[in-house]
Amino acid sequence: MSDFDSELDASGLNCPLPILRAKKAITALDAGQTLRIIATDPGSVKDFEAFCKQTGNELKSSGEEDGKFVFLIQKAA
Amino acid sequence: MSHRLSGPERKESILAAAQGLFARKGLHGVSVDEIARAVNVSPAILYRHFASKQTLYTAVLEKFSCQRQSYVDTIVKHGTSFEDALAGMTQVYIENIAKNPDILRIELHSLLEGNPATLAFFQNRWKSFTDYIEFGLNETLPYNIPHREITILSAGLMFQGMIRETLIQKCLQPQDRLVDISLHELSNELVTLFLRSIGINKTQLSRKATISG
Repeated sequence: MSDFDSELDASGLNCPLPILRAKKAITALDAGQTLRIIATDPGSVKDFEAFCKQTGNELKSSGEEDGKFVFLIQKAA
Repeated sequence: MSHRLSGPERKESILAAAQGLFARKGLHGVSVDEIARAVNVSPAILYRHFASKQTLYTAVLEKFSCQRQSYVDTIVKHGTSFEDALAGMTQVYIENIAKNPDILRIELHSLLEGNPATLAFFQNRWKSFTDYIEFGLNETLPYNIPHREITILSAGLMFQGMIRETLIQKCLQPQDRLVDISLHELSNELVTLFLRSIGINKTQLSRKATISG
């Protein structure tokens, strides 16, 4: 099955909207669950790194798929 | 003569001089020779660091784009409420320009020059606000209000105009009547007025919505 618990499509949105929506989506998760985020803003790569560093959530992966940026974040315990 | 600078130091000094000249005269008003003269190097040395005037201009713009992290800080620190995040972002943006009004000067020049790449760069900076406002209103405004779409678009425009004009008056042509009001106070007041105008009544926006540092 899918290797994430929830998904957020932030395509077309500029910083800070992807971060803001991710923050909301993560609030709804239980500790240890993962959120997959799709974004198109190139700045989102640095943004999500900084976001995870500051919130303690784990950035499991960060990559590019079909010209979009895809992140997998696991909610901290 | 002047002491020898290392490669990176030289590059940095060229960038700083170019920023000042572009801010005063715009992209088209400055020649490579003039920038080279300002840092006491030959154009050949300048070209060793930057392939063209356009490359140099782009490098100046790229230096400006490192404020992103601060928006992340804002979102992480302040709640996820529409108004708190907007106040925090505005504070970051305004403080950033106040520290370096050249950004605003270059933006205004670029509007007159009409270079598509540069216009896109600056538009993209505003897009963080206009997207945010449009997205927020789209989620909160009732669906049955008249002219809903125009209202949402206008709100973004209103905000951009309000902040840009404030920055012009505070940073580029200081006005006596505004001299005793700090940018921080102005920013909070403007965001409060804006929120009121779009129907979000928050009389006392968190006065603590400051970005430390």
